[in-house]
Amino acid sequence: MSVTTPLLELRGVDKSFGSMKVLRDVAFSAYPGEVTALVGDNGAGKTTLVKCIGGIHPYDSGEYLFEGRPVRLGSPRDAAALGIEVVHQDLALCENLDIVQNLFLGRERRRGLVLDEATMEELAAKTLSGLSIRTMGSVRQRISTLSGGQRQTVAIARAVLWDSRLVVLDEPAAALGVAQTQQVLELVRRLADQGLAVVLISHNMNDVFAVSDRIAALYLGRMVAQVRTADVTHTNVVELITSGRSGDLGLPR
Amino acid sequence: MMKGGPSQEDIRRHNLGALLRFVHLRGPASRATLAESLGLNRSTIMALTADLTAAGLVREELPRKPGRRAGRPSLVVRPESTRVYVLAFDVGVDRLVVARVGLGGEVLDRREGARDRGADASDLVTALVSAARSLVRKAGRDAVCVGAAVAFPGIVRRADDAIMFGPNLDIGDLSLGEALSRRLGLGIPVAVCNDADLGALAEHERGAGVGCDNLIYLHGDVGVGGGIIVGGRLLGGDQGFGGEIGHMVVNPGGRPCACGAQGCLEAEVGERTLLAHAEREEGPDGREAVRAVVEAADWGDIVAREALHRVGTWLGIGVANLVNVFNPGLVVFGGTLRDVYLGSAAQVRSVLATNALAASREKVRLRTAALGDDTTLVGAAEFAFTEVLADPVQVLARLKAPEDTPVL
Repeated sequence: MSVTTPLLELRGVDKSFGSMKVLRDVAFSAYPGEVTALVGDNGAGKTTLVKCIGGIHPYDSGEYLFEGRPVRLGSPRDAAALGIEVVHQDLALCENLDIVQNLFLGRERRRGLVLDEATMEELAAKTLSGLSIRTMGSVRQRISTLSGGQRQTVAIARAVLWDSRLVVLDEPAAALGVAQTQQVLELVRRLADQGLAVVLISHNMNDVFAVSDRIAALYLGRMVAQVRTADVTHTNVVELITSGRSGDLGLPR
Repeated sequence: MMKGGPSQEDIRRHNLGALLRFVHLRGPASRATLAESLGLNRSTIMALTADLTAAGLVREELPRKPGRRAGRPSLVVRPESTRVYVLAFDVGVDRLVVARVGLGGEVLDRREGARDRGADASDLVTALVSAARSLVRKAGRDAVCVGAAVAFPGIVRRADDAIMFGPNLDIGDLSLGEALSRRLGLGIPVAVCNDADLGALAEHERGAGVGCDNLIYLHGDVGVGGGIIVGGRLLGGDQGFGGEIGHMVVNPGGRPCACGAQGCLEAEVGERTLLAHAEREEGPDGREAVRAVVEAADWGDIVAREALHRVGTWLGIGVANLVNVFNPGLVVFGGTLRDVYLGSAAQVRSVLATNALAASREKVRLRTAALGDDTTLVGAAEFAFTEVLADPVQVLARLKAPEDTPVL
């Protein structure tokens, strides 16, 4: 597997909200088949960076390369067209609709004038089973009947249904029980093993080390290090998050 | 006299086995797919399929979900999963599982029960036999059992399946395989294997390790077991005792181990040690107790976190040694080690990063068992299928002919 070209590469990205600078000269790469963990303290700019990746926020300056080619995103739709899907913390599922309706919300399949329920149901079942999810039961259950972990799974399934290339998961394990967190982590890992580039935001160092191949650490709006998980220790990462440097890594002294 | 090349009969037997093995592991496939995957021409595939169909091992039918492609859908070769089955026994220290697993790997039916840690060998055999009998009764009249195997948490001699050492589940001198085979009375031998070896086999064939021929499986029950696959084959050593990773010394002079040594991986990361570090020796034990420690750590319990941190350190050292010696592509954590690893991954990988050779650790992937709690059970089933996959038609003919033998 050649992983020399990142699927997504940002260079020198700056972003301000009015007079407040939130991202300064940020570089970031995500590779196919790998989980890249994005870590940083509260307010370090993780969510802003994700919103820039997903086409929600325009960035002020910098380069955005997808498969090595510069692109300019004007909206989340542009990102989706490239195969970039973001699963936000709030999941954005409709409680009163069932799993199939949620998976296809806004992108329903039609046959003539009516919705092609059979095809959508089949695709939904195929996607869920492709993610090795057996615990879900019927794809016609309402979201309101599902547990937190199952909802997270539906949100992730919705992101991968569209031949996605890059999936960004913002704190997928927040507010989940341990058993559900473990299932979601294993699901995250499986997505990458199937060849997707996955970006995982997490505060939990065990989760980060359990599934990531690379770690990117943000500190006060700067990308202080992008390292291979196999080359760093827990202490290194915690120091990068809290002080922006650790040994030879991070900001120059 | 010099032996000639393989006879036509040998080649046919090999091809029958290869075809059956393919649909067993990869699922139903069209003749075209089989021809391409096995490198045989289509008329050979047709003849082999006819033989296997006649023996009742596969059937050809239309795909269940019609594809949306134009033209006549081609038939697929499907294993006869409900008619050809094995019995898989998973003996854990606290838990017994017996399953009827069909050709193709589907668990058709299962019986699960708790095991009392004080129960003796005859209780064990009785429990396993009664579960197996009820599974066999539920099988259809035309169904045939083609093998049986037990996953056992102990060191098993390959030559005669004798259990040489099983400190966490002592059954004395009992010959478990023979006892089960005799009491079941199905006319098939019951193989006994080390549970972690079977776990390695299962993850290699159906789990996280499909396509990876150099992998190490670590299994946590009360103790720690290991299975090592090198070049696609299980490493058994001279007598089949190989791969006892649990008794690799990681902390010389450390905690005493049931094997008599000190500081074995099992002694440093096993259930009792984790519970002792977490100050929970008095409470309940078993896998739920281990999971409770991981859960408490996740909620912020500092004693539980410290316990996982300490255990994670030794687990990391163990994995670092294995990575340096075997250069595996994959290390899989199963049983309770799945929970322990996910709860201490930061420490395990930190130790790995500082103790393993950079070249060896660069590409190694650490994964949890994709088959979950069924890893060793699935391994037992796969082992039980070995014989029929090696010589499908002969084995089935022999098993289907017991009517001819006089009943005593």
